[in-house]
Amino acid sequence: MSDIILHIIVAVVLFGFIAMFALFAVYAERKIAGFVQDRLGPMETGKYGLLQTIADILKLLQKELINPSATDKILFIVAPVIIFGAVFLGYTVLPWGPDFIPASTYTGLYFIMAVVSIDAIGILMAGWGSNNKYSLLGSIRAIAQMVSYEIPVGLSLIAAVMITQTLNLNEIALQQGILSATPIKFLGVWEVTDIGGILAWNIFQAPHLLVVYIIFFVATLAECNRAPFDIPEAESELIGGFHTEYGGIRFAFIFLAEYAMMFLVAMLGAVIFIGGWNTPLPNIGVLRLADWTTGIAWGIFWTLAKTLTLVGIQMWIRWTLPRFRADQLMSLCWKIMIPIAFACLAISGLWRILVMN
Amino acid sequence: MEVFLFYAFAILAISSALLVVSLKNTARALFLFFITLFSMAGLFLFALADFVAITQIMVYVGGVLILMIFAFMLSNKELLKDLQQISGSLFSFPSWQSLTLALAFFGVMVLGIREWNSMELPQWMLNNIQSGDVIAPTDNNIQQLGIKFIDTIRTAFCR
Repeated sequence: MSDIILHIIVAVVLFGFIAMFALFAVYAERKIAGFVQDRLGPMETGKYGLLQTIADILKLLQKELINPSATDKILFIVAPVIIFGAVFLGYTVLPWGPDFIPASTYTGLYFIMAVVSIDAIGILMAGWGSNNKYSLLGSIRAIAQMVSYEIPVGLSLIAAVMITQTLNLNEIALQQGILSATPIKFLGVWEVTDIGGILAWNIFQAPHLLVVYIIFFVATLAECNRAPFDIPEAESELIGGFHTEYGGIRFAFIFLAEYAMMFLVAMLGAVIFIGGWNTPLPNIGVLRLADWTTGIAWGIFWTLAKTLTLVGIQMWIRWTLPRFRADQLMSLCWKIMIPIAFACLAISGLWRILVMN
Repeated sequence: MEVFLFYAFAILAISSALLVVSLKNTARALFLFFITLFSMAGLFLFALADFVAITQIMVYVGGVLILMIFAFMLSNKELLKDLQQISGSLFSFPSWQSLTLALAFFGVMVLGIREWNSMELPQWMLNNIQSGDVIAPTDNNIQQLGIKFIDTIRTAFCR
């Protein structure tokens, strides 16, 4: 019985964290947008506008739930729940610290790939259920984009998994620091198992993973439908795409799912490529920096620091680059990213057999 | 708890599958098919086949179901209307082939369960249980699956 209560507590804590993160990420996004566009951003509500997003969510919560008369009622109501639920499921297998993970399964990474693809069904459901041409166009664009970009994401993850030899995200993180049971070699030549830190991260264990990581980052940006890949939403053409008809708490859930997805892919990238909960500080002689900064509390700190930095980069990109055209989006995926990902896959295999044995 | 979850998934799978074939609204039926596939994945988990369960979601939900919905959206409205008229009631005459097939399959399953209860475990199962060669929920199934794919199953096809 206590097991079940623990599972419920973990889920509630994660949900609370995602909700808080979304609130302050929206605030950060507005401030970053203000900085990039040389204005102040929200300044009125609270000190420096800190309470702005809390005021916004209060407004959304007390809005009336409107069902437009021509919608498919069931699909329209269920869609936001499925969109958020798909992303929320992904958090079950992400590690926060050494052995500090909601569910340590041997199929963790594969599980995330699978549940994120459910997201596409939810978006299609929202677009179809809204019975609105803009929504349907937006959701068809979203599906075309998400299904195409799942291929470079999958290939880049396979390239990384060929190096790590496990799908368990906790073990993947474990293999990139001083707690590793297997020897770690910096660039395949210099043994750094005791030194740890930034030198032991996957992108330095096998340097081609740096290219793979860039592919992963760009492709996941497209998977979360974020600018510059936000043609499914495209405010100026589709007035919001698949969530045109949504209002109140349902819209809040779709919005929450977008920010949860941003955090999920940023954290996944952090765990697989740049060490997850491992410290970036190496042991230097008697200065045991890596030993001092490893542990559950430090692990959570480093995970959050890395992930929030990556989320910040996502926002920076959003407000810097203009939106891609649909054909440019597809040619970037099929003509550039997939061939490079395939080449990296081959290099991964050779690296594992010839260098890391 | 596990028994409760198993029956919940089983009931969900069967009832949603029945609804999929009997619903008049094709769009809703297709989206409901997602629940059938998802609860089937849950049932695979109870057979300790987590890799198969996740592949089920990945392939069917991420690929096949989206293709089906797109095929539905792009198909002719008049054609769909004809189809919907044919499959009006569950036991109408044009569906006698599927009814026969379903009943035959049900008969095979009932027979299988009866046979299973009436006899002892097969010898190879007893041997494996005795030598401890069984899968536990905490085992690394993926590694075993990979080794089996390279080793046993390949040789089974190569002979």
